[in-house]
Amino acid sequence: MRLGRRAREAFDWPLFIAVAALAVIGVINLYSASSSESARLAEIYVTQIYWLTLGAGTAVLVAAIDYRHYERLAWWLYGGATVLLGLVLLVGKTIRGSSRWIEVAGFTLQPSEIVKLAVLVALAKVLHRDPRSEERSLRDLLAPGLVLALPMVLILLQPDLGTAVLLALIFATVMLLVPLRRRSLVTLLALAVGAAPLGWHFVLADYQRDRLRAFFDPTTDVLDSGWHARQSLIAIGSGGLWGKGFMQGTQNQLHFLPDQYTDFPFAVWAEEQGLLGVLLLLALYAFVVLRGLHVASLARDRFGAVLAVGVCAFLFWHTVINLGMVMGLLPVVGVTLPLFSYGGSNVFATLVGIGLLTNVSIRRFST
Amino acid sequence: MRLSGTRRDVGDLRRRYRKLAVGATAAFVVLAARAVQLQGIEHEAWAAAAQENVTRRIPLPASRGLIRDTVGRIVADNRPAFDVLVTPYLFDLEQDLPRLASVANLDEATRRDIAARIERLPPRRRTHQIVVLRDVDRDRAAAIEQASLSLPGVDVVPRAQRIYPFGTLAAHAIGYLNEVSAAELERDVDDVYRPGDRVGRAGVEREWEALLRGRRGEQRLLVDVRGRPQRAADTGGLAAGAVRRDPVPGRDVTLTIDMDLMRAIDRAFRGHPSGAAVVVEVHTGRVRALYAKPAFDPNELSGRIRPEAYAALLDNPFRPLIDKTTFETYFPGSTFKPIAALAALAQDGFDPGARVTCTGVHEIGRERKRCTQVHGEVDLRAAIVRSCNVYFYRLAELVGLQSLNLMAQRFGFGEPTGIGLPSEASGFLATREWYERHFGRWRTGYALNTAIGQGNTRVTLLQLAMAYAAIANGGTLYQPLLVERISEPDGTPIAHFEPRVRRRVGVPREHLALLVDGLYGVVNDPQGTAYDARIPDGVPIAGKTGTAEVRGRLAGAEELKRAWYFRRDHAWFAGFAPAGDPHVAIAVLVEHGGGGGRYAAPIAMQILQEYLGTTGAAEASGRGR
Repeated sequence: MRLGRRAREAFDWPLFIAVAALAVIGVINLYSASSSESARLAEIYVTQIYWLTLGAGTAVLVAAIDYRHYERLAWWLYGGATVLLGLVLLVGKTIRGSSRWIEVAGFTLQPSEIVKLAVLVALAKVLHRDPRSEERSLRDLLAPGLVLALPMVLILLQPDLGTAVLLALIFATVMLLVPLRRRSLVTLLALAVGAAPLGWHFVLADYQRDRLRAFFDPTTDVLDSGWHARQSLIAIGSGGLWGKGFMQGTQNQLHFLPDQYTDFPFAVWAEEQGLLGVLLLLALYAFVVLRGLHVASLARDRFGAVLAVGVCAFLFWHTVINLGMVMGLLPVVGVTLPLFSYGGSNVFATLVGIGLLTNVSIRRFST
Repeated sequence: MRLSGTRRDVGDLRRRYRKLAVGATAAFVVLAARAVQLQGIEHEAWAAAAQENVTRRIPLPASRGLIRDTVGRIVADNRPAFDVLVTPYLFDLEQDLPRLASVANLDEATRRDIAARIERLPPRRRTHQIVVLRDVDRDRAAAIEQASLSLPGVDVVPRAQRIYPFGTLAAHAIGYLNEVSAAELERDVDDVYRPGDRVGRAGVEREWEALLRGRRGEQRLLVDVRGRPQRAADTGGLAAGAVRRDPVPGRDVTLTIDMDLMRAIDRAFRGHPSGAAVVVEVHTGRVRALYAKPAFDPNELSGRIRPEAYAALLDNPFRPLIDKTTFETYFPGSTFKPIAALAALAQDGFDPGARVTCTGVHEIGRERKRCTQVHGEVDLRAAIVRSCNVYFYRLAELVGLQSLNLMAQRFGFGEPTGIGLPSEASGFLATREWYERHFGRWRTGYALNTAIGQGNTRVTLLQLAMAYAAIANGGTLYQPLLVERISEPDGTPIAHFEPRVRRRVGVPREHLALLVDGLYGVVNDPQGTAYDARIPDGVPIAGKTGTAEVRGRLAGAEELKRAWYFRRDHAWFAGFAPAGDPHVAIAVLVEHGGGGGRYAAPIAMQILQEYLGTTGAAEASGRGR
């Protein structure tokens, strides 16, 4: 499994540097975000470093093994992740009415993060095996649809609507690679519109409906979710051009920001580093996503291409939904910001995704 | 190792990457634009919101100025009181309320009341503190203060409670406080008041509100999301930290009122349910007493008055809320005759020695006007001394309404005296045009009635007292002086108010001398209407009695039960003393008292005797110390 000279030369340094920069900035930002917390939480940036190290190590391993092995093992990976997901429902740790975590050797693991990658691998395999160039009908979507459906149902049972929606978005983005008949597309859209009211009544919980209402009409509640969203905007807006300086954000330091190290670390960054810091961060994320699409376009086969696009979609949707929420463009949903939010499983999954991307990248010339 | 993946055609995917890249770029551009909007364009508004978040302004109330009487007795004071405030969104009704209840030793009803009030609040008001307990005693305040360290939504706030040591005495002149209204807060552009502040509502408290209240100070604290103050050092100098602006205490007001005299008047009115009296210094216009009975208790009105208690004040037939010295107006009755006399004396060819025969009745047209008795032959002096209406009817026929009104105007009737109280009435002088407008046509009888104070002339007690002071001092009409001086809380004087002359009445001294002689006779001639009320060997007093008929005050049949009382005449006495060298003028009204000589004059005599009879008091008020 030694990498060839060519593969070493093909290593994507710009991608690596951008990701490393995000990880470093993320840790620094977490340090500020948690500095005013009690001792237990003030150490979370250290935990984050542990996870980054673990993730990076795994990523190197993941990148070192030719991704075609994953194609071969795709169903095993998919099956394993799904079993983990099932395990959550049986022995999961319940926090705030939702069981999303299992404890393994002192670590708290969130299998739904790993599942996102497993679904991508399985999906890549399905599309890899179906290389036709003509437009697909709805029946052709059945197999990939089933790949999505099983973990989706398990995640909704936790319940974790945010992750389920995210998974669906990643899936939809990857499926954009496959041409679809116009009639099928229209049917799908009609189905989606028809399902929305049903989802409102049967899938969404009360608090989720409240959050949506608060988003569309901020006057309905000031103290609950609307209040959180507003505090986030105050943090960002008051940062101005230059920011208030590291550890100087009043919104952050005096606890006006809710969940400042999980869902809202970007607001901390924006408050303390200002517009310049924000644009730098946006540029880094945009670069990683676009670089990933570039890798996909150079992939040597369909499996690698689909995998690369999938990882891009994973990073893109996490980033855009989190930033949209923090900047008040989307309702408040618990979606993390890759490499910025505190959370081991997400950091781990992100880095492993980057490892897959690198894998595809460095093997673009091998036969 | 045989790998399944062989190179397959990926060409059909390639076309799609560009679209995905464009879509992703567009999303990031939208996010960047939003960041520019928030951090560039709207920065200032958000920065202000962030500052507002971490700033807690604690108002530092200014202590209200004291009000003293002329010798320095405090008539409006401040006493420390403690209120308990709750910030509803920090206050858990399930956990915190029972703890507060046990610490503060609250009964079940109070506890339920607090819970109900907090639950009623709309969410957007829950960040605003509300007062849950008012004026708790010192021990309980200390206990709650202790417990409030672990009850973050609870604050004990010290506050000054206004108290009026003399109770109802001079209540109308001093006034009272109550809470600033929502409408006033709306109009309060200078941010002088905060919700819960108290404002002067009547009398001096209202008139001098701007000086009495002082200026509120402010303590600005840096706080976290739970409202806990942060020390600038702990937060690495996040913000400027605490800023303090000290409050400026209100100024003290010293009145010309003498509370000893007020007490004397109150004693003199014992047994009469309703009336009023005014005492002024004739040579300065200083108001020594403004007495109205019954009066409200300003302590009650300034606290949290129960609705029933307030309704009782409103329903009281003797109208305790009405100031009968400067706000209510009355027909002056015979106390107006001196004005008519002066109007006649000013007329060419009027002979005060000429006699008129009083047969007890005066006929004008088909109307027969009755006199109080058959006086026989009377000249001007005798007509004043014995209060003969017939004489004054004749006099009015000679003089006419216009001259009567002109003389009344010279003595200050028909316009406010300018004492400086919020709602002073101007009284009323009815003109010929007014009569024509209201009664269709002019009749000479109206002028006749006016001469004996039974027309439509209405006066306040203060106007009457000031007019008699002008008669006593030789023709100088003063502006009544209620506030002697303004000073800083430490006593440093800021303003001292000197007597102010409104005008010289322009009446020859010999006319006034003739009149004063008559007024002396009223009390000291055996035939005088107030002779029976005089205090032998007391302070010499001159004055005029009056018995004013009461008209049109009864409406409902329900009130007929009390009609016997409310149809009784008002009893008047107006005069001055000591008669030879006048010092003070007085006006006394006993509402529905009956005859002036019988009921009002003795009160006036007693007041003046008590006030001037003891040399100490006379000296104390003699030259304003």
